[in-house]
Amino acid sequence: MLSRRDFIKGGVALVSIGTTAQSLLKGAVAFAAQHEGATNPAAAGRILILVQLAGGNDGLNTVVPAGSGAYRSARKTLAIPEEAVLPLAEGYGLHPNLAGLKRAWDEGKLAVVRGVGYPNQDYSHFKSMAIWQAGDPELKLDHGWLGRTLEKLESEQHDPFLGFNIGSSTPAELETPAVSIPSVQDPADYGFKVRGKPADASEPRTRTLLKLYEQYPAQSPYGVLLETTVEAAVASSAALAEAARRYRPAVAYPETSFGAGLSLLAEAIVGGLGVRVGHITLGGFDTHANQAADHGELMQVLDEGLTAFQADLEAHGRADDVLVLTWSEFGRRVAENANGGTDHGASSVMFALGSRVRGGLFGDPPSLERLVDNGNLGYTTDFRRVYATVIEGWLGVPHEELLGARWEQLGFVAG
Amino acid sequence: MVDEGERAVLDPTERHCRRKLRRRAFLAAAGGVAAGGLTIGTAAVMSGGTGKGREPGGSPPEGEATAAAEEAGTGPIADPLRRAAHLLRRAGFGGTPGEIAEFASLTPEEAADRLVDFEGTDNAALEQRITRANFNLTRLRGGDGRPGMASDMRAWWLTRMAYTSRPLEERMTLIWHGLLTSELGKLGIPRTKFMLIQNELFRRMALPRYDDLLKAISRDPAMMVYLDTIQSSAAHPNENYARELMELFSMGVGNYTEQDVREAARAFTGWRLTAPPRVQLPEGASEAERRAAQDAAAEAYEPEFVIQPRLQDRGMKTFLGKTGPFGGDEIIDIIMSHDAPSRFIPVRLFREFAHANPGPETVTWLAEVWNGSGHDIREVVRAILKSAEFNSEAAYRAKIKSPVEFVVGAVRGLELETDFRATLRFWGPMGQTLFQPPNVAGWPGGPAWLASATFFARLNFLDAFLFPRGRPLRVEALLAREDAAGMVDEALRRLVDGVMSDGARAALVAHAESIRDPVERAATVAYLVLASPEYQLA
Repeated sequence: MLSRRDFIKGGVALVSIGTTAQSLLKGAVAFAAQHEGATNPAAAGRILILVQLAGGNDGLNTVVPAGSGAYRSARKTLAIPEEAVLPLAEGYGLHPNLAGLKRAWDEGKLAVVRGVGYPNQDYSHFKSMAIWQAGDPELKLDHGWLGRTLEKLESEQHDPFLGFNIGSSTPAELETPAVSIPSVQDPADYGFKVRGKPADASEPRTRTLLKLYEQYPAQSPYGVLLETTVEAAVASSAALAEAARRYRPAVAYPETSFGAGLSLLAEAIVGGLGVRVGHITLGGFDTHANQAADHGELMQVLDEGLTAFQADLEAHGRADDVLVLTWSEFGRRVAENANGGTDHGASSVMFALGSRVRGGLFGDPPSLERLVDNGNLGYTTDFRRVYATVIEGWLGVPHEELLGARWEQLGFVAG
Repeated sequence: MVDEGERAVLDPTERHCRRKLRRRAFLAAAGGVAAGGLTIGTAAVMSGGTGKGREPGGSPPEGEATAAAEEAGTGPIADPLRRAAHLLRRAGFGGTPGEIAEFASLTPEEAADRLVDFEGTDNAALEQRITRANFNLTRLRGGDGRPGMASDMRAWWLTRMAYTSRPLEERMTLIWHGLLTSELGKLGIPRTKFMLIQNELFRRMALPRYDDLLKAISRDPAMMVYLDTIQSSAAHPNENYARELMELFSMGVGNYTEQDVREAARAFTGWRLTAPPRVQLPEGASEAERRAAQDAAAEAYEPEFVIQPRLQDRGMKTFLGKTGPFGGDEIIDIIMSHDAPSRFIPVRLFREFAHANPGPETVTWLAEVWNGSGHDIREVVRAILKSAEFNSEAAYRAKIKSPVEFVVGAVRGLELETDFRATLRFWGPMGQTLFQPPNVAGWPGGPAWLASATFFARLNFLDAFLFPRGRPLRVEALLAREDAAGMVDEALRRLVDGVMSDGARAALVAHAESIRDPVERAATVAYLVLASPEYQLA
């Protein structure tokens, strides 16, 4: 935690360089001031962590209709043997590599939403991703669905890490002109360096640089983007460094970049950065070929990462505040192809994981007998019902304006 | 996706208006900071030349500056030096002062022609440099102090971009790499050379008839692996290539049906590559010997395109309303006779070169050029580079530099010497690893280049590049100027066309004056100008 003395020292340094860094540092300063009394109002705030399974996750081999003959006959080589499936309920079970999530299920912390999709499924990765990210199949709503949510959250809470992305660029669902979203891949490189050594924003060369940004006319093309980027970078790097000093992981995260990213999210949460929405991507789900090995490995990476994250939050006493939601732009074709893979499909499954999740199966199972669009699973549950549930049921923000319509919430958030 | 990303910033001022209001409110509260105060000192600075005569940047002719500022966003780029610098940034990776002066002496039409008709331009100096650098383009693994092939391929290509005399050739190669994508990760290490083969195809066909490029890329080994063509057979057509061919490479979504995807996929069945050489293993080979033999086989492999008739679906297909026993080339012909590519590919090129927001009239004009030239990319690019819209203030600094433009532009602008090997660890954090685009849609570009993490990556690249092992690099181009203000102006002239606000320039000069050692001063000035907001824009 920053001491008052550190803060004042920082303040003195700022005075000498005028308004430049005052503006750019205002986020960090506000952060410091806020944490001085350890009364971060966000500490009580609920947090949504969105996990994107990019490429189109095969829902059928994630949450397996173990007893279905139609499933077995469509998946001659890819069907998961019934005895290997980790049983849930109603004849459904998890991929064998999802053992950690199975334990979460047994503890009532895992909700599975089946048959999630939208009308007139688009089979392009990019179009379908854009639809999920906008929260609108018509693509008429502005910005990303979580960006719009963050705009509402921001009216009550200002933190440089209100929205936090693991990666190098802001994903479309977090996009909003009103809130800067830090994107961090490697915290060691997330800050100024002078001659290879970490330096803070009060170092002379950096101060001069910040003046250049302060002087840049905001009305020029990209002027505001440049300025907000720098502003967010300055404030958030100071805050992140402080969080790193406060946090030690309570569990060993798997040595994957997904695991490292989740650990960084935990650091931001435990370190009190005021995160309300976090985002992380696990890619590689476009399994047109060699699916058994590739998808199995992805399931393991997903499971080990989420299991460690949940355990870490529990050990730090923050698990009650966090809900993890997975999504993917589509599922995959019911029938496997000749390359040991599956092609782009329609509806898929989503997981909600957390100590305050009401565990169980949600959404009706899509029919394996009555397929749509030449061999795809129809959807039973509009994805916007899931969004409405986390926006309103979890984050406490009315969803109707944000999604452009009222949707019936699903019951996976426990009171 | 590109379109959406770019479109989202069509009007950045509007898009970010709320942030802007907040900033303005803050500034007002802070007691009236002189915000902005942009003066365009270009004419003064850039004609300032090598340092004789007037002190550049300080006091540009008042009327000129005001007029230019008022024209911003509408009129042509009046100053020939600034126009030439703009052209060289967009059609290449930025110019040296010598190149800028040379192009400034031409009319916009002559300048565009010189870039577009590059075949006559001698590039021997580049080839000699490449030979001297001794890049490893043949051996999968490094050894003897040499890097592995995948990293040296990146250093090799960046060297080409930085020192070529045919900037548009490399620029088009990069554009095709970002549009007709393939990616090392999916290919796997043994197929590393496939990406080099593809890169050479793009260079050879930098300005092709687009139909020919599509047919060539459809047979390209890296593409055939990347989008699963080599796995597609009559019994089990794989839709991956057929879909992206239409969605990303030619038409755009909404111009074909799912049935068209399935039918097109059938036409590309049976397309294969010749088999790689057999791995010869001695009796009782060790693991190391086995690996060496596998590497040698992969390195010797010269994949050739073949059609295997028994895997090919030669039946009737109905595609975009036409019916016949089409093969892949006929599918491409049908696509190219459709109206959709005329509104898709030239617009994409316009966005690459000019700005993100061509109006409906421009889109129509581009389609006419496309159709009139028989889909000749050379003529489309020529027309774009000559157009009033390209040469206007609306296009000037209207794009965010990609990491490649950011780094290569620094090397060209400051005439630095590098083989780029020391830069390789920064490309991932900056968000653009060559031969490894994030997905089949390539790099989203535009505002996606700038986020807090990639911003730090740019700064930290500059710090490492200009202060290797903590010691300042000798930036000879700036060391020619002894006084702090002269050094700052030389850096501004070389890197941002001399266009920077008085307040920002004053901050740079003050900082430069605080550094005594000229070498350190020059490296610091280079760092600051390359890190400035002006330099982040192309």
